Amino acid sequence: MTEDELWILSFYRTSEISGALFFGRLAKSLRPSEIQHDLSKHFADEAQHAWYWTSCISRLGAQPLRLQEAYQDQYFVTAGMPANLMEVLAITQVFERRVINQYALHSRMPELEPAVKETLDRIMVDEKWHIEWVRAALKRMEPEYGESVIQATVRRFWEADQEVYRKTMQEHEARVQSVMRAREDRR
Amino acid sequence: MSTTDAQQVRARMAQILKQPVDRLADTTVLTDLVAESFVLVDMVIELQDDLGIRLMHDDLKAVKTVGDLLAVIASKTGRPR
Repeated sequence: MTEDELWILSFYRTSEISGALFFGRLAKSLRPSEIQHDLSKHFADEAQHAWYWTSCISRLGAQPLRLQEAYQDQYFVTAGMPANLMEVLAITQVFERRVINQYALHSRMPELEPAVKETLDRIMVDEKWHIEWVRAALKRMEPEYGESVIQATVRRFWEADQEVYRKTMQEHEARVQSVMRAREDRR
Repeated sequence: MSTTDAQQVRARMAQILKQPVDRLADTTVLTDLVAESFVLVDMVIELQDDLGIRLMHDDLKAVKTVGDLLAVIASKTGRPR
């Protein structure tokens, strides 16, 4: 495995761990509700995904890199801290879409190692459900927060996403493209 | 919010953050209390649930310190600090 490939898989692992820690903490403090139920599943998925990536890296004969900052942290710096559960779900919706795009880009890589393909395929199924449950929960929150407030919040996080992407996540895409080019050249 | 109320909120914040309450002075910067910023998100959501108030993004825009957050909460509970 090249340095770029190891960085990419370690980046996924770190991101999933950060998601699990955040949602796990939130799931612990929420009162019983449909959101608590779905958030608990979401937390469990993210923890499981972190394990899938750990296992995948190990199967490829490497060890995960210790990356200091997950890109979730950058959202808070750029868009400000979410102030309530609706805002947490809005940022989650934006973030999960970005994650799916990253995994989709990776899955188009030529000569994908079977261990990586298998891991991406397993995780993508869960990621689609994450977007669905969050969308449904935000819809149910409309009477409480107002549809326009929710839409404005999602829009604010979309704008932050562009900024965060430009600053940090481009490194992911650049490294994926670098691996893709190297593999194309070998063909 | 009365002084007693503010002290109760401060004590609750300390409990959620697992910090001694004397670390939560008015001038303490909130991000200095935690290693991960999402812990603060969870704390703010728990406080709203406890106090029956709603905070929005704009309310927290200028909040940097423990004292700033207590002042915002006081404005929502409608009681002077």
